Amino acid sequence: MRSLLLAVLAAYVVAAIHAVLAFINKRRALQRVSEAALVTGFLLHTGALAADWIIDGHYPLFFLRETLSFLAWTLVASYSLILFRYRARALGTFILPLVSFLVFIAAVTHSETAGSTNPIAVRDTWLFPVHTTLLLFAYAAFFVVFIASVMYLLQERELKLKTFGAIFHRLPSLTTVNEIATSSAAIGLTLLTVGIATGMLWASSRDGRLWHNDPKEIFAALTWLLYVSLIAYRSTAGWRGRRAAWIGVAGFALVLCTFFGARMMGGYHVFG
Amino acid sequence: MSIVLVGVNHKSTPLAVRELLALSDDACATGLRSLVDGEIVREGLIVSTCNRVEVLTETAAGRLNETTERVIEFLTRANELPRSEFEKDLYLHTDDQAVRHLFRVASSLDSMVVGEPQVLGQVRRAYSIALEAGTTGRILNRLVHHAFRVAKRVRTETGIAANAVSISYMAVELGKKIFDSFAGRTALLIGAGEMAELAARHLVNAGVSNVLLANRSEEPARALATELGGTSVPFSRLTDHLSRADIVICSTAADDYIVTERMMRAASAKRRNRPVFFIDISVPRNIDPAVGKIPNVFVFDIDDLESVVSSNIREREREAQRAELIVESEIMQFQQALRALESGPAIGALKQMFQDIARHEFKRQRNRLGPLTAEQESGIESLLLSTVNKLSHPMLSQMRHSSDASDAEIIEAWRDIFDLED
Repeated sequence: MRSLLLAVLAAYVVAAIHAVLAFINKRRALQRVSEAALVTGFLLHTGALAADWIIDGHYPLFFLRETLSFLAWTLVASYSLILFRYRARALGTFILPLVSFLVFIAAVTHSETAGSTNPIAVRDTWLFPVHTTLLLFAYAAFFVVFIASVMYLLQERELKLKTFGAIFHRLPSLTTVNEIATSSAAIGLTLLTVGIATGMLWASSRDGRLWHNDPKEIFAALTWLLYVSLIAYRSTAGWRGRRAAWIGVAGFALVLCTFFGARMMGGYHVFG
Repeated sequence: MSIVLVGVNHKSTPLAVRELLALSDDACATGLRSLVDGEIVREGLIVSTCNRVEVLTETAAGRLNETTERVIEFLTRANELPRSEFEKDLYLHTDDQAVRHLFRVASSLDSMVVGEPQVLGQVRRAYSIALEAGTTGRILNRLVHHAFRVAKRVRTETGIAANAVSISYMAVELGKKIFDSFAGRTALLIGAGEMAELAARHLVNAGVSNVLLANRSEEPARALATELGGTSVPFSRLTDHLSRADIVICSTAADDYIVTERMMRAASAKRRNRPVFFIDISVPRNIDPAVGKIPNVFVFDIDDLESVVSSNIREREREAQRAELIVESEIMQFQQALRALESGPAIGALKQMFQDIARHEFKRQRNRLGPLTAEQESGIESLLLSTVNKLSHPMLSQMRHSSDASDAEIIEAWRDIFDLED
């Protein structure tokens, strides 16, 4: 499956380069190339994931390699939705290079063979794949919140200071990025809530305990609290702008800790 | 042949002279008909706008001085203006220079405000006048269409026309940056100054749904309100209106702050912190600068707008440098197209001549061949033609080659050998 993943990588790299060039030069033609490459890459990627599932016999979201590839796939799916809904092309300039990077790492990483947990052990339950899939989509949504929040902060600052750099004319409007951040946060929080719930359900069916005090669980709980407060903050007094955007940025730092930090600290969640 | 451009523009000549030189559409058409004689001046086109009067001609080789003289005479006659008034200001461009100049004019690189869109329309208009007058031909048609192509490339491939360079457009552009679209937005005009009115008009054109007008004296406000399709509201209840407005344009003669921080904080809370965009065009300022410190409230005074406008002009000038590169590469392409245009008929005529010889010889010898079927007859003809074509092919392609390299001497030699018309 390595060769298929390399084809996916090639398509994403083409899409990323053209998205960045379109952002810099404001050229429609480049954007079209980027979108065509993105669609091709996404279809190949979907095929690659399906092939992995059939050939390896387990849901392709277990080893680090698979997780990174799957995460890239969720990011592309989220970006496509935003493109469809808001025509906010500028986001691609920041999302697609990350997607390419994730797929690159996935392509060069070898599958762990001597893992402490055998994928066979989690094969019997449908809860585990649902749990991980939902959480990866939640992470993708929070990444979108992060990007949109940074765009908001950059533009708000330039509007307040009345000095406009080159980037100003290339970003979507304040209203658009605010809307993207708000709706992505709501979607991300919903996914996170259901994802955590299924995780707990699965854990309790496995060893009867809902909570293991493991670093990943703690970080996930903190992340959940933070996004709940973000949603609450936004809904209490309407448009919240700058402060809400800062919470969106901080929230993503927590997401990163949940995703990577916990992995390094060990605990119950030893895998991806 | 030679392409010649004689004219004045806003850089070479003061307005006082330009306005005397300017020609009406009719004057252009009649002038062109008298100027183009088919011998020395073979094709002609006049671009006359408030910023430039330029006469573009296609002229027989070596008749440059006569052409210039005729154009100056024409300008003198058409405007009843002594030639000493403008002669020293005239610039003269020939061939590649003239092509470059036309490309730059059409792409708005030669305009007072670089990137302004009107000039292309003016060149189009000038072309259609010349077309109607029947004074354009092979060369100028090709040249002008090429200029339109360059203008389109420059517009789509560079950001030369991207950012607003006037204050009233700036208001629209910044508003879009905040609100994305103006549909469903409300604008509040405080005072009915001329600048505010202009900015409001732009906003209405851009799609603002409601316009509220508050003025100390209600009469002018009511008049403007009907004109803009808005409503006049009492000035005394400004705080209420502030909470409804997404965009506030302020230009009154008051010498104190009309909108204070306290007023705006109250209004902002009432509108659940949704963003507000203030444009304060009044001097002295009518909106307390402290209003701009409130979250989601953006205040731009006249100085802010002017500095953004001038930074946009600088940005356009940077983009113009990229446009110049496009112009240069297009000049090369035009040269090539022109050479093909020039040598094309000669080469075509030669090929035709060879084929005619073959057909003629066949006809002459036909009787001696006895009865032939139709297939045999066409077989012999195609045999003759393909022999002639194969024999002449290396020569013709050599001709094309030397004409691409614009080797005038060799082209002339070919013409002499085969006794071709120019």
